[in-house]
Amino acid sequence: MNKQKLLFSIALLSAAIIAFQLALMQILSIVQWYHFAYMVISVALLGFGAAGTVLAIFKKTLINRIDILLPLLMISTGIIIALVTDVSQMSFIRFDSYLLFAEYSHTGKLLLTYLLFFLPFFLGALAIGLIFVKYVDNIGKIYFANLFGSGAGGMIALCLIWLFFPKQLPAFIAILPVIAGVLLLPVTKRFFFIGFTILAASVIVWKCFNPPQLILSEYKDISKTLLLPEAKITSEKTSPYGVIQTVSSPVLRYAPGMSLTAQTTAQIKMAAFINGEWFGAVTEWKRTDTSLILDYTTAALPYIMANRNKVLVLRSGTGIDVAHAISRGVKYITAVEPNSIIISTLRDEFSRETDSLFFHPGVSIHTIEPRTFLMMDTSHYDLITLPMVGTFGGSSGLYALQEQFYLTKEGFHEMWRKLNAGGVISITSWMDYPVRNPLKILATIAEVLKESGLQNPKEHIAAIRSWGTITFVMTRSPLQQAEIINIRNFSEEMMFDPVILPKLDSGERTRNNQFQDERFFDYVDQILSSESSRFYEDYDFNIKPATDNKPYFSQYIKWGNLERLGEFFGNRSLPFFEIGYLLVIITLIQISLISFILIILPLFKIGWKGKSKTGIILYFSGIGLGYMFVEMVFIQRFILYFGNPVYSASAVITSLLIFSGIGSYHSKYFSFNRKRLIILFSFIISMLIAYSIILTPILQNTIHLNLFLKLFIVFLLTAPLAFCMGIPFPAGLTQVSKTNTGAVPWAWGINGCISVISTALATIIAVEMGFTWVMLFAALAYCLPMLVQWKPR
Amino acid sequence: MNIRLSTLFLLLFIILSSWQDPYKQGREALVKNYIEKRGVKDNAVLNAMRNVKRHLFVPQNQMANAYNDRPMPIGYGQTISQPYIVAYMTEIIKPKPDFKVLEIGTGSGYQAAVLAEIVKEVYTIEIVPELGNTAAPRLQKLGYKNVNVKISDGYHGWKEHAPYDAIIVTAAAEFVPPPLIQQLKDGGKIVIPVGSPFMTQTLMLIEKKGKKITTKSLMPVVFVPFTRKG
Repeated sequence: MNKQKLLFSIALLSAAIIAFQLALMQILSIVQWYHFAYMVISVALLGFGAAGTVLAIFKKTLINRIDILLPLLMISTGIIIALVTDVSQMSFIRFDSYLLFAEYSHTGKLLLTYLLFFLPFFLGALAIGLIFVKYVDNIGKIYFANLFGSGAGGMIALCLIWLFFPKQLPAFIAILPVIAGVLLLPVTKRFFFIGFTILAASVIVWKCFNPPQLILSEYKDISKTLLLPEAKITSEKTSPYGVIQTVSSPVLRYAPGMSLTAQTTAQIKMAAFINGEWFGAVTEWKRTDTSLILDYTTAALPYIMANRNKVLVLRSGTGIDVAHAISRGVKYITAVEPNSIIISTLRDEFSRETDSLFFHPGVSIHTIEPRTFLMMDTSHYDLITLPMVGTFGGSSGLYALQEQFYLTKEGFHEMWRKLNAGGVISITSWMDYPVRNPLKILATIAEVLKESGLQNPKEHIAAIRSWGTITFVMTRSPLQQAEIINIRNFSEEMMFDPVILPKLDSGERTRNNQFQDERFFDYVDQILSSESSRFYEDYDFNIKPATDNKPYFSQYIKWGNLERLGEFFGNRSLPFFEIGYLLVIITLIQISLISFILIILPLFKIGWKGKSKTGIILYFSGIGLGYMFVEMVFIQRFILYFGNPVYSASAVITSLLIFSGIGSYHSKYFSFNRKRLIILFSFIISMLIAYSIILTPILQNTIHLNLFLKLFIVFLLTAPLAFCMGIPFPAGLTQVSKTNTGAVPWAWGINGCISVISTALATIIAVEMGFTWVMLFAALAYCLPMLVQWKPR
Repeated sequence: MNIRLSTLFLLLFIILSSWQDPYKQGREALVKNYIEKRGVKDNAVLNAMRNVKRHLFVPQNQMANAYNDRPMPIGYGQTISQPYIVAYMTEIIKPKPDFKVLEIGTGSGYQAAVLAEIVKEVYTIEIVPELGNTAAPRLQKLGYKNVNVKISDGYHGWKEHAPYDAIIVTAAAEFVPPPLIQQLKDGGKIVIPVGSPFMTQTLMLIEKKGKKITTKSLMPVVFVPFTRKG
């Protein structure tokens, strides 16, 4: 077989698999939710592990037919990639995440969905695995092609997502494995393969022009909005941020927690959605409507306290807080919103609907992560507003795993330093039950004030509550008497109640809005007291402030309390409190169980005995875990550095894969030299330990540099490590091939399974212990292969 | 002769049994075990819950589960409420036979039917035409002549029949529409769930006394009901 063609073919197939994975993530996030997409894809990716198992068991038979099997598998992968989304949308298989807990038939549908999406990954992986096993002597170059192709696949998907809607992507991506297969067409069975290729080409052309119709869950925000009278989609754009849609309807209204004294119609022109989920209301600012909406909510608190001249709006979204600031006469407004597409859509397409909000002379817009902006900006403000926390009725923990750096203690410290004398930070939250969001906000504010060395932190906090929302302000100077009077008057006028205010009578807190369970006020008082640490321990949910190391503001689960909460709320209710994090746990359990079976099965064929078995498991598990842990930490750390998750993920994945590929290319110098491998692992471990200490300071001190310099720094930081991390896999496979040929596919399969497990595991470690520990665990994981090399055989 | 007579009796028994409502027992058990036990005391409400055939308000494939105390999907992203919540919301407005009640969010029509068993007039508004157009004939067929269904935007209430003794909002909203407060009688009550279906919800009671409007967050309710301890 022509080697160049083979390498090109494997690169194309690898590119297709990664690109399809990204496209599928988008598609499933649109029809369902991101977390369910993650769960489905994690199981589907076990196709790699399963391919290893099948290869280990049927190695001889498959290798004997490799000339026919390779093009057959590759072209079949193309056909299935092109068709699989259509099939997933058929009623017999289409599941609804919400109904998983209500209708048991949806569990069966979920299992079918797993199986369906498993297919293309399995077939593609089987082709890659066959090449790895057959040409193991050349593994360095083959793995290089595999990694290079994967890196390119990520970039291809990123480019395609800008151009095409997610539903259109599979058909385009399917072209790659078909070309890969055609490159390897055998001389025998010519007519069959010509016919098969024509079939594949026809399917792809058909699907390019007739992409599947995505049917969204009826419980998604956009599905419900489209049921409103005369509702219609007014704009639709695709980007790596997701599909952005705007919907108009004459009965669209928005007024979160509006006062019961308000007489406004709360009408809005449009609403924006990302992947079918509510993103924000599109409003005008010239008409009185806009100001009235937020003026009748607790969010007006910082404006009724005093006049504001210079305001920073973090995560400005569709601009409603910007409009509010303009209507309150603010002269200078800085809006920070990382989603550049929503900004350009509203500014360029809907300037009439937004009264040219984003062209207002007083408004400057920055499309960057809020926390990154805070780290780079040198200005000072009278008011910093944060976006509303939580969603109406609670998000059920759907955002538990979202990194929210602007809501960490460090984030609040940055904001605090940027306040003028008399300036305030303002943040509003829905009142959830059991209370979590408001308590965590308060805990964060209280701790930051304490850490700032203030004598009496209580004099720097005020909070008011409506029937549904609560707004906190954190003031740079102690609250002034005039401000306190204004807050009291405003509360009375709007029928709100003050919750935190100097010299507050207990009766004042429930004058207009009562609770059946008034323990909330005790909780508030405990957080403000010196006993707050004990309260954090005692409370049923985790309300300790988030930190940069554990930036998961919305993660409230305390594992020790689950049983008690189960008794209290009923076990079947628990998922509805913290579904996001629980899904990761469920995913980890599912993939671990399947992986265990996939790893054990081949042993029936290749035998259980032999010293090398444990060594192979430890070696390939260690490098799989280590590599993925590092990738996860780098992506997370560079999000803050670049201020953009898309650029961060692209830069990290591309540089890691390409430099690992180059490392792999040079792996032959290490394959038969244990000493060199031990030195290599020592170097990787040392670098990881060093990075866990110095990475954050390096990034913090260079965050102000321009994009190109930052990219250069990223490559400098990742290249040597990635180069080294690319060597152990091919070097290990070569070693295995010399001592135990039959175990090569098994070793490859183990690596595949563990790589999938490690993404879920890294998330759990990050949530529970922080990202520094993920890095240290990566170092620990690389100790495993080093020990294997050390061990005399 | 005896054999003939006993055969006749047996036949009669079988025929009568088949005429009986096969779901009656389930309904009784639901009221006894899930509604009465958890604190709903109003006899009129309990009787209404015993009388209204919930299985006729749920999709056909869900009929067997109709008397489980849980919400169920009815399509269009909507649910039929959990029976306990329906009973609780009905009791909280302290319904009287001469009451005129407005309901926002007809859905399947179940809540309207329960109200219609107790009060004089029920006005119910549904914004999704498909749901409204199914619920209206269903209620009519079941003989609820005191229920009036309108397909419209519930935000504006139903001004022509105002004022109302009570308003029940069954669809959670991010704000309380001002027209509803205007259409409420002095001393009237609004009960509204705050939260999304299938997630945690909090019931809120709004009371209007002259110009003063007060709210009270009542019991939190979740997918599977629970009673708060302590």
